[in-house]
Amino acid sequence: MSTLTPESASAAKSIDVLAAAPSERTAPAAPVQVGIGAWPGILLNETHKGLLLSWSYKFNLLTMMLTMGFIFIGIVFFMGRGDLDRAAIPSALLGYLMWFYALTAISNMSWDLREEAQTGTLEQRYLSPAPTGLIQLGRSFSNLITTTIIVGLFTLVLVLLLGVELPLRLAAIPVFILTMMGLYGFGFLIGGATLIFKQVESLANLVQNMLLFLNGAFLPVDRLPTWLAVIAYTLPTTQGIIVMRKVVLEGESLLAVWADGSLVWLLLHSVVYFVVGWVVFDFCERKARRDGLLGQY
Amino acid sequence: MTPAIEIQNLSKIYRKRSGIPTKAVEQLNLSIAPGEVIGLLGANGAGKTTTIKMICGLVEPTAGHVALNGYDVARQRSIAVQQIGAVLEGTRNIYWRLSAWQNLLYFGRLKGQRGSALKQRAQALLSELELWDRRHEPVRDFSRGMQQKVAIACALVADPPIVLLDEPTLGLDVQAARTVKEWIRELALHRGKTVVLTTHQLDMAQELCQRVAIMRQGRLIAEEPISTLLDLLRNEQYELRVEGHLPQDALQLSPQLAQTPIANALTITHDNGHSIVSCPASSQEALYDLLSAVQQTGMSLISVQRAEPKLEDVFVHLMESDLMESARAEGEKRPARLGKNTERKEAA
Repeated sequence: MSTLTPESASAAKSIDVLAAAPSERTAPAAPVQVGIGAWPGILLNETHKGLLLSWSYKFNLLTMMLTMGFIFIGIVFFMGRGDLDRAAIPSALLGYLMWFYALTAISNMSWDLREEAQTGTLEQRYLSPAPTGLIQLGRSFSNLITTTIIVGLFTLVLVLLLGVELPLRLAAIPVFILTMMGLYGFGFLIGGATLIFKQVESLANLVQNMLLFLNGAFLPVDRLPTWLAVIAYTLPTTQGIIVMRKVVLEGESLLAVWADGSLVWLLLHSVVYFVVGWVVFDFCERKARRDGLLGQY
Repeated sequence: MTPAIEIQNLSKIYRKRSGIPTKAVEQLNLSIAPGEVIGLLGANGAGKTTTIKMICGLVEPTAGHVALNGYDVARQRSIAVQQIGAVLEGTRNIYWRLSAWQNLLYFGRLKGQRGSALKQRAQALLSELELWDRRHEPVRDFSRGMQQKVAIACALVADPPIVLLDEPTLGLDVQAARTVKEWIRELALHRGKTVVLTTHQLDMAQELCQRVAIMRQGRLIAEEPISTLLDLLRNEQYELRVEGHLPQDALQLSPQLAQTPIANALTITHDNGHSIVSCPASSQEALYDLLSAVQQTGMSLISVQRAEPKLEDVFVHLMESDLMESARAEGEKRPARLGKNTERKEAA
């Protein structure tokens, strides 16, 4: 109807302007072209956002830390058959911490992707000029930082309460980085599966439990039957724990662990996991685009 | 001039787990000029969202190409996505646990923007949204309309020349929808953005868009300027609104009116205690005769206005026409198939 009210008059005026040739209206500025130089900033931006989101779940982080403590104390008492075997704690603690890193890396990767798909922010992330794998890597960094803070506080409490001695050695840093590289590569495999199948909790749980019992955190891998030991050696973190114990608890140098082949095996293992994880994630992402699954939950 | 959006032979076929292919978009061709505001209309499942997602590069086409300001989305994705900002259908699009300020900075940096220029732009957008004072509050504490405005601001923070808005008022109350609509108008009028708008609110499309593309079952069934589409159903008529109930034959009894050519073309409908008399607008003289006849009934005249067709009527008309055409085509195919089967049987 053409009944004239003040509102419709304003709308009619708008239509007049809209009806004008597009070139007669204000021309938009061309966007600033973003190149590869912006990628590190985009990666750090994702890390920053991940930290902000983690901080918004403060209560959850605290609960996670308490759970982590109770499980560890329970396991240590179980291993000592009701007693606290202080001599066995550092080795078990090192393995347990690595397992905790694996736990958060795997579960957070699937949880984050699923949540972002549900809320539609995942599709918005795909509108970035940077590769999505790189953005996901930024999110993994934030996860690594958050986990390190939890692990650091937890270890500090154990050191103060139980008098556990865990030597700090610089040589542990490259071993830790390599272990995390393999671990997050594995996380990318799970992330890729999340993009396609959405509900991958049972797969993530299976892997987390396998890691707890088979990665040598509490039971040395060489005591396992051969067939099971082969599986255990292929899991992420197993080789990292072996090398980490040698370097941190036995005081071996990096040269020594390189010479005995354990560091070489860790390097190879981590590179393969990272590359395979990245390739699988990329493949799943393409499939998700092809099948229109990115925004679906 | 390079089109802002160039869509060529775009098709998307989804292969479901059952193996049955579903055609979501079929041979779509569309060219959108820079600064144009175009409405993409259609019923649910018409292929609008799939089209928007293919424009964004979020869904890979089965065939065809999309270019944004000349950049091919498939081959030059990194540059192509810098041309667009999008608010997608039915999702939050932003982080509700973060504040409006954090969201704007995050999405700006995600698009490669940085430094003081980004902060100035974020500040300007939040000020225009009247959210500057609440910029540090989590978005989850905002009203739905405000959240949607933050989502639109995030889509604009890198200042893209093309804005894709998929059902931007879906689920909003009247007030919030109006606020968002004003913003879209602002984008179109004062910022020169190319806007692609999908909506079920056809009055909004009629008000904001210069041109609409109507889709049905993945196909484009019409693509015209709004005025051309309205002309399809433009039937020059006057409408007289009268207080009270006017019987169908009330005006036929008037001897003065009975002599005029419109006597047999009058229709009377009733609406909320009012009677609406419609008559062809062919003759001013006949209109005055009609007014006299109404006066003689002793009923109060409320308004006289020229009836304009609505986009909604045109939309329904086009959908029904296409449906009938499809049914006819299907009907023609069926006997042909039956005929072949019969021939085969006879041959056997």
